[in-house]
Amino acid sequence: MDLAPVLDGFTVVLEPTNLLYCLIGVVIGMLVGVLPGLGPAATIAILLPLTIGIDTVTAIIMLAGIFYGAQYGGTITSVLLRLPGEASTVVTVFDGYALARQGKAGTALGIAAIGSFVGGTISIVALSFVAPLVAGFALDFGPPEYTALALLGILLVSTISSGDRIKALVAAAAGLLLATVGRDSFTGAERFTFDNLNLADGLDFVPIAMGLFGLGEILHALEERHHAVRAPATVSNVWPSRKDLRQSSGAIGRGSVLGFFLGILPGGGATLSSLAAYSMEKRRSKTPERFGKGAVEGVAAPESANNAAATSSFIPLLTLGIPANATMAVIFGALLIQGVTPGPRLVEDDPELFWGVVNSMYIGNILLLIMSIPLVGLFVRILRVRATVLAPITVMITLIGVYTVRNSVFDIGLVIVFGALGYLMKKLGFDPGPLVLAFVLGSLLESNLRRSLLIFEGDPTGFLTRPISGTLLAVFLLVVLGPLLSRLLARRRATSDRPAKEPV
Amino acid sequence: MTQTNRVRRGTAAGLGVAAALALTACGGNLGGDDTADAESFPDGPITILVGQDPGGSTDLIGRAVAEGMSDELGVAVTVENRPGANGALAAQQLAGEAADGQTLMIFNGSLGYITPLAVPEDEAVDVNDYEVVTGISLDDYVLVTAAGSGFSTVEDLAAAGRPVTFGTTGVGTGSQLSQELLFNQAGIEATAVPFDGGSPTLTAVLGGQVDVGSIQLGEAIERIEGGELTPIVTFAEERPSFLPDTPTAIEAGYDVPVQQSRALVAPEGTPDEIIEQLRDAARAAFETDSYQEFNENNLLTPNEIDGEELQQRWTENLEQYRSVVEEYGIDLGGAQ
Repeated sequence: MDLAPVLDGFTVVLEPTNLLYCLIGVVIGMLVGVLPGLGPAATIAILLPLTIGIDTVTAIIMLAGIFYGAQYGGTITSVLLRLPGEASTVVTVFDGYALARQGKAGTALGIAAIGSFVGGTISIVALSFVAPLVAGFALDFGPPEYTALALLGILLVSTISSGDRIKALVAAAAGLLLATVGRDSFTGAERFTFDNLNLADGLDFVPIAMGLFGLGEILHALEERHHAVRAPATVSNVWPSRKDLRQSSGAIGRGSVLGFFLGILPGGGATLSSLAAYSMEKRRSKTPERFGKGAVEGVAAPESANNAAATSSFIPLLTLGIPANATMAVIFGALLIQGVTPGPRLVEDDPELFWGVVNSMYIGNILLLIMSIPLVGLFVRILRVRATVLAPITVMITLIGVYTVRNSVFDIGLVIVFGALGYLMKKLGFDPGPLVLAFVLGSLLESNLRRSLLIFEGDPTGFLTRPISGTLLAVFLLVVLGPLLSRLLARRRATSDRPAKEPV
Repeated sequence: MTQTNRVRRGTAAGLGVAAALALTACGGNLGGDDTADAESFPDGPITILVGQDPGGSTDLIGRAVAEGMSDELGVAVTVENRPGANGALAAQQLAGEAADGQTLMIFNGSLGYITPLAVPEDEAVDVNDYEVVTGISLDDYVLVTAAGSGFSTVEDLAAAGRPVTFGTTGVGTGSQLSQELLFNQAGIEATAVPFDGGSPTLTAVLGGQVDVGSIQLGEAIERIEGGELTPIVTFAEERPSFLPDTPTAIEAGYDVPVQQSRALVAPEGTPDEIIEQLRDAARAAFETDSYQEFNENNLLTPNEIDGEELQQRWTENLEQYRSVVEEYGIDLGGAQ
């Protein structure tokens, strides 16, 4: 592997501006991590327009910092207040809060911070090796491969996300539908444009993301009653004991590896991997009854996993141009605003951007490790900022911001419409994530499918004879048929006693 | 006390000078038959609309022109990106602006003489509905193929013994038109595969996903010089100075001159005096070394012609393309 671009990446990161934005990013990340109701996707969506005047590398370094910083921040409130700041730290509540009640809040936070650091770092190292490998296939990725990849992505997004499966499917279908709006890019025919030139190029991704994630979340958070937050018990004994470390080292390692792989999967990401890592530890443990009552592994595993996943989800985005989860979709939008179309050529064509962003994560993780423990008290105090103060400010930033992206009043309208939709979706228990991802993947799927068929002269068997697209389609079939097969097997096994249960 | 007085006196003197200057300025113009508009022009900052995304070639050209004009006019000239519908959205916005020369636009030739062939009539934008300040520059299209494809001339493509696939940078673009015309005239059976812009088209050609593609010269030159792409023909009437060894399509025996052209336009009804002032400012900008270096670096051929001439050429282009397209039964879009 050629190390020169990797080292050049470090010079990029160590530029004072980039260091500063990295710091700003992780601090904002920690803050929104602490605040329940405002997630990293929402924050990044709201801050998107602010990145216009900044260098691409610098902008993405900051946005990435918000993402993984939030994983650290979310832990703090989970442990201290039993109030998960992020969906990805929900499972940390079980054992983290139990530990806090035993007076071991410091231990829990310390283990979480160390686990996050290790998980993040393992993931970055793996990313550094895997991404150029994938990029090596760059030119082999033609329309047929993208078709298969988009198909697989949409399937995974709508089936393995952590919420209700039917609702995720409905949301994904709505996203696919929205992707059809605009002038047909093959024939010039108008589709659902209602003679409005603003719709000629289709719905723009940025206002949709800002509306669904930004405005929608703000509106939804406003509705929740805000309790006065109790001052947390003083946090002491941050450095975990040797025994705690020994007990959790395995969990940290396994969590990191699991998180890395789940992060790459479309629809995976931090939340899913923290859940999976927690249940894996519980299943492996010789003393599963300790879980929920203050087991350090119960904090270590999900915290390592969610950070590893947050980092590894950059792989599909930066190498294939396919966002694996909602936050990546928003960062995808940020790259588009900067005039960079992420894809297989990114590593080669823009090594400064690629390695600058990747290497900034090392620095960011170190910053977070340093900051997270001493600043706990400060961050908890943020919780006292009332939503009634925060909400109008963020709404204003969102609306002004979206206008500045394309100087379009129409886009402000779009944000409001999608903000209302996002609010309703949240209220009815729909995750807007699959909608946004299916929207991005949908246009990718349609145009590449049609391109492929043009190239194959209408012969669809072409998809199966090309090695990469053939393999991807085989995986697609496996994912579709896998659950069916296991259901069949389960039924055969269970026919004698009683009707089969829903497979897990 | 003394100090206050001095300050006051200073202010008064300053005001006096300013008043005198203002009077002289007015006096100088008294003989003219100007409307109030033209006299006070430029009245504050000028906005140049660009109908493409920031960072693209049209945007860069807009910024280079804006910079030079700003120095000349002594007011800020800012570029405002209003991307959408090949630039039709920006053109629509410009048409609604006051005709006072404070809002201008970089108008792409393809919007005027190619897009109308691909979109419904009511969406076609006509450059004759605007006041053209000046032409700016021309951009060449080059037909390229991957170095290992085995093709190097149009004859090679004709002798391929199978239908050829060609990548275009989108529907209603010069990239599409140039290749449709070439392959139809050469009698080569070929399928168009549209991509979203120059960079994805380039990647597809490099990866052998499509056999050939027509790309703006500035986007392809690096790979041509690096030996990754083989240029087959260019589509201008004469060989561009940047690629002297590649024949034009006309030399190869086909009548398909297609170029991208750009112009600075103002809303219809803008007073002639203002147009003239803008033209002078633009001309002065074109003369600067930094602008000429910009053209050189981006492989742009200056085309700094007057508005009338430009409108005439573009209209001729449109008519010519329309008739060839009909002659060969080419359908650029499906919506005609």
